[in-house]
Amino acid sequence: MENKIFKLIKKKEILKLLESLTKEYNIFVPIEDNGDARFSEFKSGQDIYWDYRNTKISPKEILFPQAETLFCFGPEAEVKSEEPASGGKGYLIFGIRPCDAKAISLLDKVFGGEDFEDPYYLERRKKTTVISLACNKPQIDCFCTSLNGKPDNEEGADVILFDLGEDILAGAVTKKGEKFIEKQNKWFEDAGQSDVAKKDKIMDLSLKKIKSQIDIQNIKERLDNDFTASFWDEIHQKCLGCGICTYFCPTCHCFDITDEINPKAADSKTPKGKRVRCWDSCMYPLFTLHASGHNPRPTYKERMRQRIMHKFNYCPENYSEIFCVGCGRCVRNCPVNIDLREMLISIESTK
Amino acid sequence: MSNPYVPMPVTIEKIVIENKVRDIKTFDLRFNDKKDADRFKFNCGQFAEISILGVGESPIGIASSPMDEDFVQFTVKKYPTGTVTSVLHNLCTGDVIGVRGPYGNGFPMKEFEGKNLLIIGGGFALTTLRSLTKYILHKKNRQCFKDITLLYGARGPGELIYRSELDEWDKRDDINIILTVDDRCGLDWKGCVGMVPNVLKEQAPGSKDCIALVCGPFIMVKYTIPPLLDLGFIPEKIFTSLEMRMKCGIGKCGRCNIGSKYVCKDGPVFTYKELQGMPNEY
Repeated sequence: MENKIFKLIKKKEILKLLESLTKEYNIFVPIEDNGDARFSEFKSGQDIYWDYRNTKISPKEILFPQAETLFCFGPEAEVKSEEPASGGKGYLIFGIRPCDAKAISLLDKVFGGEDFEDPYYLERRKKTTVISLACNKPQIDCFCTSLNGKPDNEEGADVILFDLGEDILAGAVTKKGEKFIEKQNKWFEDAGQSDVAKKDKIMDLSLKKIKSQIDIQNIKERLDNDFTASFWDEIHQKCLGCGICTYFCPTCHCFDITDEINPKAADSKTPKGKRVRCWDSCMYPLFTLHASGHNPRPTYKERMRQRIMHKFNYCPENYSEIFCVGCGRCVRNCPVNIDLREMLISIESTK
Repeated sequence: MSNPYVPMPVTIEKIVIENKVRDIKTFDLRFNDKKDADRFKFNCGQFAEISILGVGESPIGIASSPMDEDFVQFTVKKYPTGTVTSVLHNLCTGDVIGVRGPYGNGFPMKEFEGKNLLIIGGGFALTTLRSLTKYILHKKNRQCFKDITLLYGARGPGELIYRSELDEWDKRDDINIILTVDDRCGLDWKGCVGMVPNVLKEQAPGSKDCIALVCGPFIMVKYTIPPLLDLGFIPEKIFTSLEMRMKCGIGKCGRCNIGSKYVCKDGPVFTYKELQGMPNEY
């Protein structure tokens, strides 16, 4: 972090700053909710959950909602309105953890892309500013450092914040972030060397707290020839196929498209229905079931293999990136304690 | 930014029931907006998402030739569990549905120019091969290709689709048509009897300077490839087209992949050489 210019702002002031931005942005902040943390739209008087470890549900849903309307149609066969509406308020994702910010940079590769662009995601993404909050207290099952991440990783963020206790240290990462801080300059003061030194110390400590280290530097190459390896027969055995790992995952992006009908749309003005896309999961048997009855991934084995291969082999092939940021959500939330790290280790050791 | 998820409205102009069991129909669709028709420029072997608002979408190979300018055709088999295909089969001429696409790579037609072609189809999978055959037989294109052989098989004579067209082609002297059925089904039948791979072995067409194109039920494709190799076709010269469950058609929704390849945008057309390098998960 050489020559980065840091600014300082009091935590209390941040609430006022955000309050002043509500006209310009839909602001999302981490809040406490029944003992868990989650992202919620910032409202006047809202407090921020500064000490949260990470949110239970990943903030990917801000940019890629669990369900969203692609368009409405009817009463005849015409498409009524085309979302996404461009313009409108910007999005400010405030206080996202660095692993989740990195996940956004991965989703950008999927929904952007050279051949087809996804207008729903990109329209939102274009007007989004990502302000991440470096991790002071990684969790026991965080393993971002195994995936080239770290508590103050900057990928995907426009501005990165550091919690120094009373104060927040802010550094711009992108041009967008620079402009953001410039525009809000009145809230900030210049940071001193001691502030930066304090931040470095906290980050060093935080980095040391990440004990979970797995060696997956060459996982892509290792999986290249492992499609028929014997470990696939083993590692799925406990899996219930509930799909929770994919729903919590900040990089999982598979979706379904379905039509919903409005049964009360009797008059000629009301749309008859809408086409909706919603998250889907490769862990479900219907995901790949053909109308003919044929299913190329008929058992848990093929589906678990797809999940691992997609993240650690296919995406590296197609996007030059491993689609895992080491947030640990799949590990924490699996009802039968399947641990992705253990699977990766067993893949390595079986060979 | 144009929205790839919004279908273009089309009107059903004509419906032809293709087989005796009456579960395969060909739909002639005309774009309601001329601009959409201009936008929908496709290659042989590409597919599109047929959209029925309120029901859903289904990826279907384009059956008409790129040379047909007035309409686009899709031949659709109805499956009892196929929501969209079942509803589509109950529609009438004049009904409006949607189409979005074209998607996928299609056959590399330029690469085939100056070559002999052996076209092998099974059942209703003849659709995109029919698009290709029609394209080649067009008077503007025929001289670009050398000898053309079409080997087409189905379970019984009543299950051969595009019958009248096949009869027309059979009268031509610039295409060799070989028809086969697994079973005569008691019907009057002058063609071959036997499964496609066996008939291929019997007929033993030459592989010199020849491209083989195989589309059919996967089991047929699987058993047709060894005799092709025996005849001297190399894996790079054997093309097939794959099917997968799809939603978006544009490589985002994440379900139609075989290994790192998405059938919707890297396929559906692959050479046998490419298939050999892909995991066996289709």
